[in-house]
Amino acid sequence: MIQIFDVVKMYDGSNPVLDNVSMEIAKGEFVFLTGPSGAGKTTVLKILFGWERFEKGQVLVHGINVGKLTHRNIYTLRRSMGVVFQDYKLLPNKTVFENVSFAQEVIGRDRKTIRFKTWEALKNVGLSPKKDIYPAYLSGGEQQRIAIARAMVNEPSIILADEPTGNLDPDISIEIFRLFEEMNKKGATIIFATHSQDIVRLGNHRVINLNRGKVVAS
Amino acid sequence: MIHMQTLISGFKTTLSNILNNKQTFFLSVATITISIFILGLFLMLFVNLNGFLSKWNRQVQLMAYLNDDITKSQREALVDIISKSPNVESYLEVSREEAWAEFQSNMSENLKPLLDLDFNPLPASYKIKFHDVENRLVFIRELSEILKTKKGIESVEYGEEWISRFEKFMVFSKVFLFAMGGLLCFGLTLIVSNTIRLSIYSRQDEIELMLLIGATPRFVKIPFLLEGMFQGFVGSVLALFLVGGVHYYLKNEFQSSLDSMAIKFNFISEPFLIGLVGLSVFVGLMASYISTFQFLRMLNKK
Ligand SMILES: Nc1ncnc2c1ncn2[C@@H]1O[C@H](COP(=O)(O)OP(=O)(O)OP(=O)(O)O)[C@@H](O)[C@H]1O
Ligand SMILES: [Mg+2]
Repeated sequence: MIQIFDVVKMYDGSNPVLDNVSMEIAKGEFVFLTGPSGAGKTTVLKILFGWERFEKGQVLVHGINVGKLTHRNIYTLRRSMGVVFQDYKLLPNKTVFENVSFAQEVIGRDRKTIRFKTWEALKNVGLSPKKDIYPAYLSGGEQQRIAIARAMVNEPSIILADEPTGNLDPDISIEIFRLFEEMNKKGATIIFATHSQDIVRLGNHRVINLNRGKVVAS
Repeated sequence: MIHMQTLISGFKTTLSNILNNKQTFFLSVATITISIFILGLFLMLFVNLNGFLSKWNRQVQLMAYLNDDITKSQREALVDIISKSPNVESYLEVSREEAWAEFQSNMSENLKPLLDLDFNPLPASYKIKFHDVENRLVFIRELSEILKTKKGIESVEYGEEWISRFEKFMVFSKVFLFAMGGLLCFGLTLIVSNTIRLSIYSRQDEIELMLLIGATPRFVKIPFLLEGMFQGFVGSVLALFLVGGVHYYLKNEFQSSLDSMAIKFNFISEPFLIGLVGLSVFVGLMASYISTFQFLRMLNKK
């Protein structure tokens, strides 16, 4: 499902942030992507959904050669993925409900489906009572849950979660982690980037460990 | 095909863009209004001059004045040339007596005593009418050149000087109108694309997010393209109302004096009105297309 072969990524043209990284993730798998800050976790995810280009190597998602996609057709790749961004990327001028429905409007779903699916997603993350509130008036954990609801609402086959439990207290972290396990049980392939060993210990999943741009354990 | 829903949600975004950037929107629309207003005024002037000229053109006929001592065979030769000339509709022989009678009947009563001559000073003539074709002046000119050289002709007349001057002026006006239109469109493109750029930048994060979660570039562009077209539409319609106001004023003020010359002062005709609005909408579309194109290219280069 996801194959990365010898990928080299340099932001500045000389120092590789990813140095011959290779990994393979099967359909329906749940993997942790771990490593210290600056190891390159976010960069790997960005390459997977085509937000960053790379200098060398090859990336295949559902057999699609990501490096060959142009900005005109890259949306097809992105529609098969749900991404929880490390910085959430919520729209401040939209309510919780609108933030989640926006992800569906963008891909042209019809009104009825949008309403229904948004409700369902908000219920799943326990945010339905706050649907009409703007993100700025919510706690960090609540904002993170909006981001998760938005990532899962289009029922993507792949979910890329970048530190979805960063800066949260342990109780909420566990709750959120369980949400991803549930999506995984429903068939989604999940890459869960975190530097928290506590979270990793919560589930029995494969761990891909990055350090300074190299895969050190898998 | 563009989805209806995409268009509706695009238009919603357009409206909120406009509400968020009211000042730049109004500035942009005002610029369009002023530009199209100026263009519209000149167009109205041009259309009226043109109408006047062509009406006048249609009345132009060739007068071939004959020598008093013209012979019968010379006359026959002339008639032969005239009747065989291309695009001649009809010709009428006006004798000296008829010319004199017509002249007198056109004379106002109080001038008549002054012209109580005891001889007829007018020559006989051929009044030659031409078919109403596009380039009839060319044929008139040709025939007049031929007749001038023939025996028995005193002089040939068709208001030559006047007409060619008027024609030159109309050509100049056309060139002027196109040049001004082109220049204004160029300026408008710059101004509108700048307004749209501001709209785009005020939504930079949103656009980036949209692309990240799978929006097509077209979906992202639509609200801004609509905004540009909307500006062009509103601006040009306002401008044409202003031109209409000027027309109304001028007509009330001057129509009575124009009436005496049998001239009608017309408003810009419907095809031209639609053309101006269309041009303005097109400029808006081009301008916003340029801005969205530049912005998306910048995002993709990142
Ligand atoms: N846009 C960028 N331009 C230049 N350098 C960058 C950019 N993004 C990341 N980097 C560098 O690439 C390296 C890897 O960054 P990345 O964000 O992938 O790390 P990470 O593993 O996600 O870290 P964290 O756990 O702090 O989120 C870092 O050294 C970072 O400074
Ligand atoms: Mg990161």
